[in-house]
Amino acid sequence: MKLKHSLFSRRQFLNGLLGGWLGALAASFLYPMVKFIFPPYREPDKVVLSFSDYQDMEPNSVRNFSWGTKPGLIKKNDNGTYFAFVAVCTHLDCNVVYLTEQRKFFCACHEGWYDENGLNIGGPPPRPLRQLIVEIEGENIIVKREGVE
Amino acid sequence: MNLKAVITGIQAWFDDRFGLSQIFKFLREKEVPQHKHTIWYYTGSAILLFFGIQVITGFMLVFYYKPTLEEANKSIARIMTEAPLGWIIRSVHFWSASFMIAIVFIHLFSIWITKSYRKPREATWMSGVFLLVISLAFGFTGYLLPWDALSLSATKVGTDIPRSIPVVGIWITKLLRGGEDVTGDTLTRFFGFHVCILPVFIFILLGFHIYFIQKQGMSLPVDVENRNEDVNSLPFWPNFVYREMIVWLLLVGILVTIAIFLPPSLDKAADLMAPAPEGIKPEWYFLFLFQILKIFPAKILFINGDTLAVLLFAVAFILFFFLPFIDNKPAERKGKIITVIAYVVIVFAVVMTVWSLL
Repeated sequence: MKLKHSLFSRRQFLNGLLGGWLGALAASFLYPMVKFIFPPYREPDKVVLSFSDYQDMEPNSVRNFSWGTKPGLIKKNDNGTYFAFVAVCTHLDCNVVYLTEQRKFFCACHEGWYDENGLNIGGPPPRPLRQLIVEIEGENIIVKREGVE
Repeated sequence: MNLKAVITGIQAWFDDRFGLSQIFKFLREKEVPQHKHTIWYYTGSAILLFFGIQVITGFMLVFYYKPTLEEANKSIARIMTEAPLGWIIRSVHFWSASFMIAIVFIHLFSIWITKSYRKPREATWMSGVFLLVISLAFGFTGYLLPWDALSLSATKVGTDIPRSIPVVGIWITKLLRGGEDVTGDTLTRFFGFHVCILPVFIFILLGFHIYFIQKQGMSLPVDVENRNEDVNSLPFWPNFVYREMIVWLLLVGILVTIAIFLPPSLDKAADLMAPAPEGIKPEWYFLFLFQILKIFPAKILFINGDTLAVLLFAVAFILFFFLPFIDNKPAERKGKIITVIAYVVIVFAVVMTVWSLL
């Protein structure tokens, strides 16, 4: 039945109501399911490493640390300063290696090259390696991402 | 009451409940056309053979395999060294996967070139494309399970590829990895895909695919159909089935021989923090993709090279999926172009694959 000035019939209205209700019910079931399959992830703000583990490094060499679930590399420069990189290739996420003699970072997956400052110089990588901030405070090396106090 | 009457009685009892006599009648009357392209009809059942072997050897492997960061690699080592004949079971599972994918590709291109997807078989083609994707997903997820350096790097790359798709890509990567990075969670998740989720989908789609083929009967190649002559046919049961069994026996013989003489290796357990090993390669059926990603430049006209590669690939895939609707006049000029494209795709994939091995 449709009233004279109505846009839709009573049947359409009730079907819409029922359909909308079923849709909302389905969404209320789907939401927690979708939530469940994506685990939370928070990148560390900073990691604190013991300076004594890195003090004896030769200039132009690297040593590992863990940046959350990603590998990190601490590099000692020729002038004695330290750099820290997230050691994953910006192309497709493979872990990179530092080749001391060539003074380059290298990704073996698709032959990507970065210079000693992490700048992408060859192969498919689209961006430089991600660099982190290094601060030496007494006994500790603090590696933190940009914008963190 | 004699024995014959008892058997007839049992048969009648089952037939009343299951209605099998209709299916048997259908199989007795099913015919397979004989012409110069008949050989390609055998590829379908060969895929089923290798799929069956995958199911059975998979059941066996899952009795020993442990899908966790600490245990995965060790449990495969145990299968290879301690489980009685475990090394053969794993080797057969490994090789049968490759055989299955290889024949899937042959099956696919034989259908493309003989144009068996044409009306009314569009749905058969499309369910086949889904089966192809699932088969490749089986290969991709299975490759990680031994958890060694090679499989870790291949998985990092493979799950990072969707990231370059705008908007949804990052969520696909997270869904596949079970987080931001490839970790032990990824391994457990891939195991779930490999032994639980993908099997459910492959059985459903196989059911549809095979139903469509039975419903429509074997397709005739365009040139045979256009000749308008009577085509000789072979009864499916028992003549064609016996011939298929001969092919199956040959294939099983080749499979087991290779599996015994060339068992897959097992590298030491992957270290999530270690650099990617030199000379990483995915499974052979992903090599063409691997090579394309390697040669694509980082930037093409301000667009990220990978994004472009992935988008191009997505467009190609959509065209491929809808091929029966694009090639809707197969006997004309349009049809010839589509056939030429099939050969171009084959040559391109082979060239890329060989290049990646150099």
